[in-house]
Amino acid sequence: MNNLCADIGYRSIFHDGEELCGDHVDVIEQEDGSTVVVLADGLGSGVKASILSTLTSKIISTMIAAGLSLEDCVHTIAETLPVCSVRKVAYSTFTIMRIVESNEAELIQYDNPMVILLRGGEEYDYPKTEINIDGKRIYQSRIRLREDDVFILMSDGCPHAGIGTEYNFGWEREDIAEFMKTFYTVGYTAKTLSTILIDECSRLYGGKPGDDATACVVRIRKREPMNLLFGPPSNRDDCNKMMSLFFSKEGKHIICGGTTSTIAAQYLGKPLRPKLEFVDKDVPPIAELEGADLVTEGVITINKVLTYAKDYLKDNESYSQWGVKRDGASLICRMLFEEATDINFFVGRAVNPAHQNPDLPINFNIKMQIVTELSECLKKMGKRIKVSYF
Amino acid sequence: MKVTVCIGSSCHLKGSRQVVEEFQYLIAENDLKDKVELGGTFCMGNCQKGVCVTVDDKLYSVSPDTAKSFFEENVISKLK
Repeated sequence: MNNLCADIGYRSIFHDGEELCGDHVDVIEQEDGSTVVVLADGLGSGVKASILSTLTSKIISTMIAAGLSLEDCVHTIAETLPVCSVRKVAYSTFTIMRIVESNEAELIQYDNPMVILLRGGEEYDYPKTEINIDGKRIYQSRIRLREDDVFILMSDGCPHAGIGTEYNFGWEREDIAEFMKTFYTVGYTAKTLSTILIDECSRLYGGKPGDDATACVVRIRKREPMNLLFGPPSNRDDCNKMMSLFFSKEGKHIICGGTTSTIAAQYLGKPLRPKLEFVDKDVPPIAELEGADLVTEGVITINKVLTYAKDYLKDNESYSQWGVKRDGASLICRMLFEEATDINFFVGRAVNPAHQNPDLPINFNIKMQIVTELSECLKKMGKRIKVSYF
Repeated sequence: MKVTVCIGSSCHLKGSRQVVEEFQYLIAENDLKDKVELGGTFCMGNCQKGVCVTVDDKLYSVSPDTAKSFFEENVISKLK
């Protein structure tokens, strides 16, 4: 094992007028520590394509996860998929990426646009071996992973974007690689990179996609621990224990909550300096404390983070807000969503008497609920989460 | 003179942002930058009285509506 991990994110747009996507992405983490990503694109669009691609990706991911060979997978797919009554074929293209112990990737590609690999800011031409299974030409590659490698898996809806309108032959693979290279060094998450790519496709299609388009980005990165302290301990005598556990952890330290940060400031013996800048009218100002990387107000700020987290998992539309703004919630979002891979929550269960006022929209139960929901969201983003209560 | 406004969760919900902005405006308008030090603090433990404001360590309860008259009464008039 090394200290690398894969950040995986994907987004799709649907064929204009359809309610279902004909592309399907599956990400499966296996017990042995390897991860399988399958992107399947069913023939046509709408319900039929959706069934084809869902079946294909589920079959492949389940069989590969069970350790069966690629030949078996392809045979099974060919024999299982329902035959399209219009075109008399059962057909779904697919790309499989298997990441083993974060140091090797196996790519298996069938008829989707070739996976783009960006390494060191440039497109990297990796070796491919052609194999023939049941008359299907399949390309197989094994790639040793490096830090900051970015893999871009696509359905053909991406390179077809803009055909006949913006470009004569669509947005070619080389041009997509060039386009994505410009975002390589910024440090965007895989989800954001896939969103940027798909948004550009949508623009080229003039907002009316002529095909389902899906991009799945796999970013190889270092593990980055992050620690978040939220709320004072239920027993006042546990303050020092909670603080020493929190501050002894590797990685950055975020402190949320007024009382909590006061306790932390006492523990560190440093002054706590709240700022008076209201960057966002809904989010209280942040504070400065030597020894902590970020200090914010508690429940209102975290609630805002949760709102952003839910949107991130859905359409990622609020990225333009939390991605650039300087308020406490946006700063936490960037640290948790973009920087961190392993997050330790230190949650204090003290009941703030001031919050038990029925006039206020915050109380103890809501606070605990927010923590639970936020850690669920972060897990869905592929982060490792540990929550300790005090 | 030191004026501190609580920006904790509870006071925030009761409008500490508007209070701070009103004070900042009044300080600029009356040219009091050298005489008044405006600061923020997290919870002062008096949330029921929010928005909590201290003027030289004396605690007051202010709301966005009373911010202007409060500042004139307790800050500007005392400085003259």
